Amino acid sequence: MEPTQQRAVHLTSVFGLSDEDCCISAAKAGDKQAFKSLYDKHIGNVYGLCYRLTGDKGLAEDAAQEVFIQLWKKLDNYQGQSKFSTWLHSVTANITVSYMRKQRNWVQRMFSLEASTAMSLPSEVCTTDVDLEALVVRLPERARMVFVLHAIEGYRHEDIATMLGMAVGSSKAQFHRAKQLLKTWMGCEDE
Amino acid sequence: MSKFEQKLEESIASLPSAKQPERELWRGIELGIEAQQHEADKAAGKPFVSDRQWFALAASVCVVTLLWFAIPSVFTPVSNETTNYAVIEKMSQQQQTQVTRLLTSFERTPALTEDWQAQLNELDEAASAVKLALKNDPNNTALIRMLHHVYQQQIALIERVHAPKWQQI
Repeated sequence: MEPTQQRAVHLTSVFGLSDEDCCISAAKAGDKQAFKSLYDKHIGNVYGLCYRLTGDKGLAEDAAQEVFIQLWKKLDNYQGQSKFSTWLHSVTANITVSYMRKQRNWVQRMFSLEASTAMSLPSEVCTTDVDLEALVVRLPERARMVFVLHAIEGYRHEDIATMLGMAVGSSKAQFHRAKQLLKTWMGCEDE
Repeated sequence: MSKFEQKLEESIASLPSAKQPERELWRGIELGIEAQQHEADKAAGKPFVSDRQWFALAASVCVVTLLWFAIPSVFTPVSNETTNYAVIEKMSQQQQTQVTRLLTSFERTPALTEDWQAQLNELDEAASAVKLALKNDPNNTALIRMLHHVYQQQIALIERVHAPKWQQI
């Protein structure tokens, strides 16, 4: 049995801590194997959110790496007041948004490419099943980020505005834009 | 609620929360963490000697020991000048092999300083100068030791400037 596993079993039995709590404690103390366990458990959720926010697999992979690299430093900030997965989700959203902002072509993506990527999908019939994720990643960047954060992740427009550095009204407008585009793509525009 | 709103809600509810990346990400994360730690150590002024560096140091010691047993004449004065210089040539070849092997092993590891290759070239030039002197005086043990020292410096430099990042688990 690996040392980390042995320690986890010991802490679980003595203090009634969950395996994840033990991994978090061990990772905070610098145990990389424990951190790897946390990575293995949460990479799917982290990458999933990164992918929806970035709309690009390569960028999402880079962002997910950045999330875990920064998480190693930020683990001490987690005090157990919420579920680890909830806290990590919020960390992921913030880091991914910052990461995207840092990308060199941020301005280009924000202002030049938005219009060209938005209108090119054929409409479906409103009654068929839709692959929402495939549609979401095709939304223009700001509209996509706002839609993902508000409609899927449940953030308030005030928080999104702060995260994305925009006015609350702009966040709401982008959300409306995203919904309109989705409505068209889903073939429901006649309603 | 409109049909679209209802459909959107259903679609959002059925979205999978997890998605696996196609690329293996852990190695990059590990490298990033090591880089962070190294930066922190550097800022704190701590010496940074990793497992890999210790391993490389131990390997160098082993090479010297092997050399000691395999070619003892390198470490003791020899009477025959031609034979002695041939041994020095052999030592140079082994050094070259060792340097090439180390450089290959550190190929993907970023160097900590930018001018390390210039330093390596300087040591190369020093070794060449000592070898030239040895060509004229192959029995000069002080020069042989000097050459050996320059070679050790080369190995140490390569190991020092490459931060081994993935073996510190």
